[in-house]
Amino acid sequence: MALIKLDNVSKIYGFGDATTVALDEVSLVIDKGEFVAVMGPSGSGKSTLMNVIGLLDRPSQGRYVLENKSVSRLRSNQAAKIRRDSIGFIFQSFNLLTKLNVIDNVSLPLAYKGISQSKRYKMASNILDRVGIKSREYFYPSQLSGGQAQCVAIARALVNNPKIIIADEPTGNLDSAGSRLVMELLSEIHAMGNTVIFVTHNPELTRYASRVVYMHDGNIIHDENTAIGRVAPRARKVLYTLPVKSIDDDLAGVSALVKAIEPKASPKKKSKKKKRLARK
Amino acid sequence: MKILNDGQIKSAVNAFRNAKLRNFWTMLGVIIGVTSFILVVGISEGVKLQVLGQIQHNGSDILTIRPNNIQIGGSSLNSLALLSGINVSGSLSSIDLSRVANTKGVKEAVPLSAMTASINGSGGKYKKGLVIGTTPNFVNLLNQSLSYGNFLRSTGNMDNQVVVGSQAAIDLFNEDVPLGQTVLINNQPFVVKGILNPFPPTPLSSGAEFNKALFISYGNSQQMTNSTVTTYEILALPKDPSQTLQVQKAINSRLLASHGGQNDFRVLNQDQNLASNTSILDLITKLVVGVSAIALLVGGIGIMNVMLVSITERTHEIGIRKALGATNRQILEQFLVESTTLSAIGGIIGIIVAYLIDLILRVFTNIQPSITVTIVILALIISTSIGIIFGSFPAFKAAQKEPIDALRSQ
Repeated sequence: MALIKLDNVSKIYGFGDATTVALDEVSLVIDKGEFVAVMGPSGSGKSTLMNVIGLLDRPSQGRYVLENKSVSRLRSNQAAKIRRDSIGFIFQSFNLLTKLNVIDNVSLPLAYKGISQSKRYKMASNILDRVGIKSREYFYPSQLSGGQAQCVAIARALVNNPKIIIADEPTGNLDSAGSRLVMELLSEIHAMGNTVIFVTHNPELTRYASRVVYMHDGNIIHDENTAIGRVAPRARKVLYTLPVKSIDDDLAGVSALVKAIEPKASPKKKSKKKKRLARK
Repeated sequence: MKILNDGQIKSAVNAFRNAKLRNFWTMLGVIIGVTSFILVVGISEGVKLQVLGQIQHNGSDILTIRPNNIQIGGSSLNSLALLSGINVSGSLSSIDLSRVANTKGVKEAVPLSAMTASINGSGGKYKKGLVIGTTPNFVNLLNQSLSYGNFLRSTGNMDNQVVVGSQAAIDLFNEDVPLGQTVLINNQPFVVKGILNPFPPTPLSSGAEFNKALFISYGNSQQMTNSTVTTYEILALPKDPSQTLQVQKAINSRLLASHGGQNDFRVLNQDQNLASNTSILDLITKLVVGVSAIALLVGGIGIMNVMLVSITERTHEIGIRKALGATNRQILEQFLVESTTLSAIGGIIGIIVAYLIDLILRVFTNIQPSITVTIVILALIISTSIGIIFGSFPAFKAAQKEPIDALRSQ
């Protein structure tokens, strides 16, 4: 059953000369219970994809169906409620509220749901026990190691029992031990039947995933199912041998034309123009 | 409307705790506004109560005859001294006294003459008080009792006796019962014959401060000054209290005739006396309440600015909260609770400061402000609504932030 269905979704930032296409008509179907790793170089649109799937950002074009419900044009409060009830976020920089202690951080999504404080703390405490840092309940984020902080963030993402866990480079700020801890936790969550989508730069981490999606310049260039426990066979290859021939090369002639028309335009501008022309 | 959850109040308190000093400066406007509002209204009400109390004490049918444009003030400690101060240049004389006393319907008339004199008691030189020459009926007329001894017995005699006010007794002799002691007035020895009970305090009134005065006989005061002593006030008591107004008119016309039609005196009944005391007070009250309204407005703008800075600083936090599912309304509530907490705490501090100043005024001056529960509740409501009014724009701005933009800002 398709949990997430993206249909020709585009995301364009800025306008005029500064237009950037972060997602270029991406279509993607993710089923319930998948553990998806999204890979790709910086600026390939991974984070934008996560934000669109997580309803933090609206797609500029295209259709997004979440649980058989079109969510591409939601009002901000409706989106907030879906984020609260169905989606758990894990960020690279943990994004814990520094002024709140661990248990308050974890119980925050429950507070927005309107659950009473004693019940909140009980649920938060349970979830902290599950991620193995119950002893740090009354610590502040500044008193935690990176790995511990990310565990707290995972607990916070889990506390509402969401259907989808979205992790944007969850191990990006962690050492190898912390990375392992976090990934083990994520696979445990996956094993319990949750859908997990995570972004990573590290090919090694694809061994936790059941599916790997490769992105480049706002497009999905490769999508494969892999066996859990093995590094995706194409992970290194795809990442380090990116397509040499891009659409920009095809437009080299146009580029030359543009140069001829605007001899004084800065090179940066030209490339943007090139890109824009390419979209047309 | 869904009530605020405890998490929002907690986060407001947290935010408050984390920026104590800045919050204090923010609240200062509200504190000053609330303090001045409560104090001014309290002082005004208190003084009115005191004046009313004085009238009740003295009797409501006493008529006061005063020269025009004259100010008699008791002491430098009578605060708002700009309203008082000794400036005796009146136009009443002992002849006027006899005219008033002989007016039809007047039961008795008592002169009050003031002279500046050097006063020396066993406790040293006494600078605060003044010497009042009066007649034996003074105490009966004002329903005033003595704590020790007797009041002056005779009118004209130069018996060199003195009755002292309660405060003057302490200041002059350093003892409670200085009966029989000698006090030098302009180097003339006077024997203390009695000590008066305290008069009700008369703040801001244009009458003399009796508690600090020395009373000698009218004859004595005339003798000491070669009959040049100024009679600054004549008190008259009508025979029939219901005829007060008629008697007032009669005295007025009689004095007017004898003064050659010159209106250089006033005959006031107690209501008019009260009015002349409170009209200036009312004006000042309105003025300062206006100023405190401006202070509150400025305080509100201060809160608004700090909240605007705060939401800019905490954009990332707003992003996180929104990512976790906070609706616009919940963000709005959070910041509204914060600004309201800020101004309400400012209001509470303002109330405390007002009470402290009230205490200081009561101890060091004769003003007894009357801070009522109504004023305090009003001040709380005002300060709270300032937080709501001036907090809504920043809170609205915070709520409108796009989650992804907020999350990206660091």
